[in-house]
Amino acid sequence: MQSKTRKISSLAIAGAFAASVAAVGATPVVAADDMVKCYGIAKKGENDCKAGPGTSCSGTSSVDYQGNAWKLVKKGTCGQVSTPAGKGSLTCLTTRPSGQNYQCG
Amino acid sequence: MSQLSEIQTGFARAVLNAKDPVPEGVESHLRTKPLKRFGVYRNNVYVSLVSVLEGRFPVVARLLGEDFFKATARVFVEQNPPNSPVLMRYGGQFPEFLEIFEPVADLPWLGDVARLEWAWNLAYHAADREPVGSEALAAIDPSTAASLHAEFHPAVQLIRSVYPVVTIWSENSKDGEPDHIDAGAGGEDGLIVRPGIAVEVRHLPLGGAAFIAALTKGKTLGEAAEAAFEEDTAFDLQANIAGLIASGAIAELRAG
Repeated sequence: MQSKTRKISSLAIAGAFAASVAAVGATPVVAADDMVKCYGIAKKGENDCKAGPGTSCSGTSSVDYQGNAWKLVKKGTCGQVSTPAGKGSLTCLTTRPSGQNYQCG
Repeated sequence: MSQLSEIQTGFARAVLNAKDPVPEGVESHLRTKPLKRFGVYRNNVYVSLVSVLEGRFPVVARLLGEDFFKATARVFVEQNPPNSPVLMRYGGQFPEFLEIFEPVADLPWLGDVARLEWAWNLAYHAADREPVGSEALAAIDPSTAASLHAEFHPAVQLIRSVYPVVTIWSENSKDGEPDHIDAGAGGEDGLIVRPGIAVEVRHLPLGGAAFIAALTKGKTLGEAAEAAFEEDTAFDLQANIAGLIASGAIAELRAG
């Protein structure tokens, strides 16, 4: 059986590969250890982890900006996040300026 | 006296079949069959499974509206109770269900939107792995590129659709009113990646899906490029390789 004619030369592939590696360069992918847990900024159901007792981790916060639900954010940015319910915090928030209370324990 | 396992099986069946009588062994202090109380229990099971689906398929829920979605999900739960105690695995058959569920027959693209959301869920829960880095790439001799094999990141999912599924999904996953979308505008392919902790959905360029599908099957870079050109002559090899690497879709490139 005759082998199929190659439409693309390996030289063309080598060129495309070299060019794409150069184009990508050192694209930084944010590593998990550059992230911190930031409480009180996740929208409803979008927390990365921790919410009240009886819930099992991610996606379980039931209100926006729940004080005991955290979202991973880039280090150094947590306190800068402002939400309608107050600023983000590196520790669990039992109360929020809006008056809501959450269980942290 | 029944065996415990028989009682449990009967109980589970009765919970999921709304028309079944109160199962054997379930009694109230009045020694009557507590139909209403069992109904509360039954309803809690349905409501929690429906809310699992609502959380897993937020775009489908938005497209159908809350009431319609809940009614649809309830029928699905009746016909497809969980077969794993792990709820993150629940809902895999929902896309197929939507494709044959008569009341949504006028939304033929809905199944693919659900498929994309299920793929998002798989990517979210997939194992962590470091995508291929620039050092490893620099160590590859480009003249051997045609014979390279790609190993994909565990989170990578490919979605192919004859509908503009990526646009429908992205327009409806952001806040605010979605732009007008022409469902007949032609198909779209999507790549779902999660290089770090955030899931990303990318719209693949022409031939991109054929390229990835071939690589997934163990074809070399050269063979995959040919498969992609065969599907679409507008396939841009360089852009596709760069896109795959930059998106963190590739975990490793191996020779031979």
